[in-house]
Amino acid sequence: MKNLRYWSIWLWLSATILAAFFYAPISAGFAGLDGKSPESSRIVFFHVPVAVASFFAFLAAAWWSVKYLRFRRPEDDHAGHAAVEVGTLFCILATVTGGVWAQVQWGAFWNWDPRQTSIALALLFYGAYLSLRGAIEDPETRARLASAYAALGFIVAPFLFFILPRMASFSLHPKPASAEMEPRIGMVVIAGIIGFTALFFWMHDLRRRSLALEEAEEQTLDGMA
Amino acid sequence: MWRDISTWTAEVAAIFRKEWRCELRTRYGLNTVGLFAFTTLVVVSIALGPAGTSEEAQPFLPVMLWLILLFAASAGLPRTFVAEEESRTAIALRLSARPSSLFIGKALFNLTLILALEVLVVPLYIGMLQVPVASVQPLVLSLLVGGYGLAIGSTLTAAMVAQTQVRGPLFAVLAFPILLPLLKFAIEATIGAGSADPVLLERSSVALKMAFLYDGTLTVAGFMLFPPIWNP
Repeated sequence: MKNLRYWSIWLWLSATILAAFFYAPISAGFAGLDGKSPESSRIVFFHVPVAVASFFAFLAAAWWSVKYLRFRRPEDDHAGHAAVEVGTLFCILATVTGGVWAQVQWGAFWNWDPRQTSIALALLFYGAYLSLRGAIEDPETRARLASAYAALGFIVAPFLFFILPRMASFSLHPKPASAEMEPRIGMVVIAGIIGFTALFFWMHDLRRRSLALEEAEEQTLDGMA
Repeated sequence: MWRDISTWTAEVAAIFRKEWRCELRTRYGLNTVGLFAFTTLVVVSIALGPAGTSEEAQPFLPVMLWLILLFAASAGLPRTFVAEEESRTAIALRLSARPSSLFIGKALFNLTLILALEVLVVPLYIGMLQVPVASVQPLVLSLLVGGYGLAIGSTLTAAMVAQTQVRGPLFAVLAFPILLPLLKFAIEATIGAGSADPVLLERSSVALKMAFLYDGTLTVAGFMLFPPIWNP
């Protein structure tokens, strides 16, 4: 069953990557600052899906953190911790791919565009979550405080992702609702979102299990000491 | 129900009084926060001079004000729960007050500390940098709403930080991502105070509403999350 899941994700993502290069057309409106780099628009097939997957990751982290606070089961804390770790990786990938695209399209890696500001704050938040975990030795206190912090992140997230970008007087990002997308481009972007979200959950499952093993090992060593 | 409310209010008042009594014995918070803010303001004033007289510099001055307030708060407010953890009286506090009344009592203490800081710093900021104040209302409201958010956010993070091994540096790491959206709203709201331009005043009014909404969200989050943060 687990092999089937692995191969399904592998096949789906391979097909999406092939489709991104050979099936989807280039976007005429995103041909770079000088209009000479139309191929750069293909980064949308990676940038948007990893950004959406990172958003799902943080949603999942908040869900498991709230579950931990309610039921106090260590496995929920492992799941929340793993979601933040893998989600942070996806968030970094979204920032880097966005930066590369911004350099080609807008002439600078970083423009303090409202969405860039939001993602920078989200990265700060989850970096703080990981620092908090590193600063506490007792596993119960660590799980409790980190879960509360992740839940707090979820409560302030709507301001980061929805309100701050809309309050800005300018944005270089196209508005999602108004962007007219060629159907084939839209299809590959959606396939990418499904594929990268599935990849996130697969990586999350591996990390969650490794965290549970690390904690069991720690307890065994403590017992022996 | 009324009895419950009056007990809760009495607990909040007792914690608030206890915090101020302890504070007035050592004056740690007042001295740290006040002197930190004053020193930073002097440094900024020396570096910028009478920047308020330059139209180009005016939009940046509220940023300076809120950065001074944020860093001053982060210098003094992490101590909020540390005294109880260090003197090992946290258990007594857990037994004698409900988490919600403790949270509000401590947050009220922090709020009064921040308001005192604002009363000290803002006139000096206006005088030393020669900041024009076209309308007082947005300035006062942004200081109240921003100060409230700073107090609530700092109280929540201070409760977490007090239970960790590294306290000082971690407070800034944990609190800033929570407080930065509020800071953005407060800065925009304060910018409106320096100008009579209706567009800026409108932006300031929207930012003020957003800051108010953010304060409400943080308060609800505090009520929900403080019990699991405080009680093992």
